[in-house]
Amino acid sequence: MLDAIKDVVRKSSIHVCIVNCGGCNGCDVECVALLSPRYDLEQYGIYVHNNPREADVLLLTGAVTEQWVDNLKRIYDKAPEPKIAVAVGNCPVSGDVFNQEGGHVHAPASNFIPVAASIPGCPPRPSEILEAIIAVGPQAIADRGREQK
Amino acid sequence: MIVPIGPIHPALKEPVRLKLQTEGERVVKAEIEFGYVHRGIEKIIEGQTWQKGIYLSERVCGICSYEHTQTFAETIEKISEVDVPPRAQFLRVITNELDRIQSHLLANSTFFKSMDHETLFMRVLELREYAMDAIELLTGNRVNMGWNVVGGVRMDADERHFEPILENIKKIEDEFETTRALFAEGPALALRCKGIGVMTKKEAIKGRAVGPIGRASNVKEDYRVGHYTYDDYFDFKVIRRKEGDNYARTLTRFDEIPESISLIRQAIENIPDGEVRTPVDLKSGYAMRKNEAPRGEVTYMIETNGTLIKNISIRTPSISNMDSCAKYMIRDVPTVADAVSTYASCDPCVACAERVAITNEHGKTTIKDFFEVK
Repeated sequence: MLDAIKDVVRKSSIHVCIVNCGGCNGCDVECVALLSPRYDLEQYGIYVHNNPREADVLLLTGAVTEQWVDNLKRIYDKAPEPKIAVAVGNCPVSGDVFNQEGGHVHAPASNFIPVAASIPGCPPRPSEILEAIIAVGPQAIADRGREQK
Repeated sequence: MIVPIGPIHPALKEPVRLKLQTEGERVVKAEIEFGYVHRGIEKIIEGQTWQKGIYLSERVCGICSYEHTQTFAETIEKISEVDVPPRAQFLRVITNELDRIQSHLLANSTFFKSMDHETLFMRVLELREYAMDAIELLTGNRVNMGWNVVGGVRMDADERHFEPILENIKKIEDEFETTRALFAEGPALALRCKGIGVMTKKEAIKGRAVGPIGRASNVKEDYRVGHYTYDDYFDFKVIRRKEGDNYARTLTRFDEIPESISLIRQAIENIPDGEVRTPVDLKSGYAMRKNEAPRGEVTYMIETNGTLIKNISIRTPSISNMDSCAKYMIRDVPTVADAVSTYASCDPCVACAERVAITNEHGKTTIKDFFEVK
């Protein structure tokens, strides 16, 4: 009973924090475009706060650079449970073009924190990011809430 | 007291750390810490072909990605002594100006967001979507367009593309005046930006501020003046203001948008027929080219050995803008909230700025004080 009520509450308000761990900005720009009246993220009950301490979903963008090796775990620990991380773009999934000789990246991001879903694309369209958050977010958060017990 | 802001913070979209030294509410001094987004692009490009190099140079920065590929292509063309066909030059101008419109609108919307003015933030972002539509119609992508190649552009465009572009920029133009007036004549907004974060002309030159940030302080450099395409075929006015505060910087970016719209109209009206791409015989040598990105001059220095790129060095506008922002603009702003909005008004792009990372040999940390390094 309590779980059912919690699920409803969690599904209807998702707080998002964008964590740019060393990307080119392209994915971040598309995340900002989600706030525009055309896509209007807030009508789905999703709020972009950019504050890890009140986030349910961490949107990871960018291949993990040297400075983020330790900090990514710290940011993830700061977010309250239940929480999920979603990788946006090719960079956190595979490192994209930066993951080759000469590059200073430590992709994939799943080496450091658990990643629940990934949205490939360089960068993915705003509608794709939105679709992924809505499709994966609520159920994943609810599941993770049960795991924590 | 020292107030650290970032790297992940509600007001910042990109990872950078602002350290503000405060006395009460007043900010006395500011320092910016870089090093969160260094990926080593220049090192990766070394020893690659230009096809791979242009792909990587597009990913230096996601907001002004177009200008990076154009400058890269023009540098290689300069080494190889190739003239780009006029039709390709015109298509480059159209894409370049569309990119400038969306970048300026994004920068202004971020500034309004940092001042917590949701109405303008939403209105400006809505206008930006029309520019993004036009870019997508022409090139097929929204952000990383992959439109330039050495010797021209990837494909031809015709009436099917130009008419929707004209419709979209008409939509921007219709809404633009009201939006600009909301900002320029609104008393509440003006109180929060007039006289805040002032940078004089002398300081702008000393801090090497470029682009709209420099022009808001009456620095006259615009690298579109002197570019062969713009000089030969186009008329436009360089927007300059004298105040050098947050208000002037935002208005400079607003006022450049009608100029860009008129440049797109001129390009579509007078576009010549012909090829859009010439075959290039790559030569060896060294060349440097400067171009006006939405944020200011972007410089590429490339050395090739005939087939591969031996050496590349990229200088982006954000580094000098953010440097002069920390040194001159944030100094003596009345409150911490003003310091954040002043930082947003200098249109920071951290991904551009991260060209060099200096690491301490004893540990993993980056040397913190950037100003000591120069």
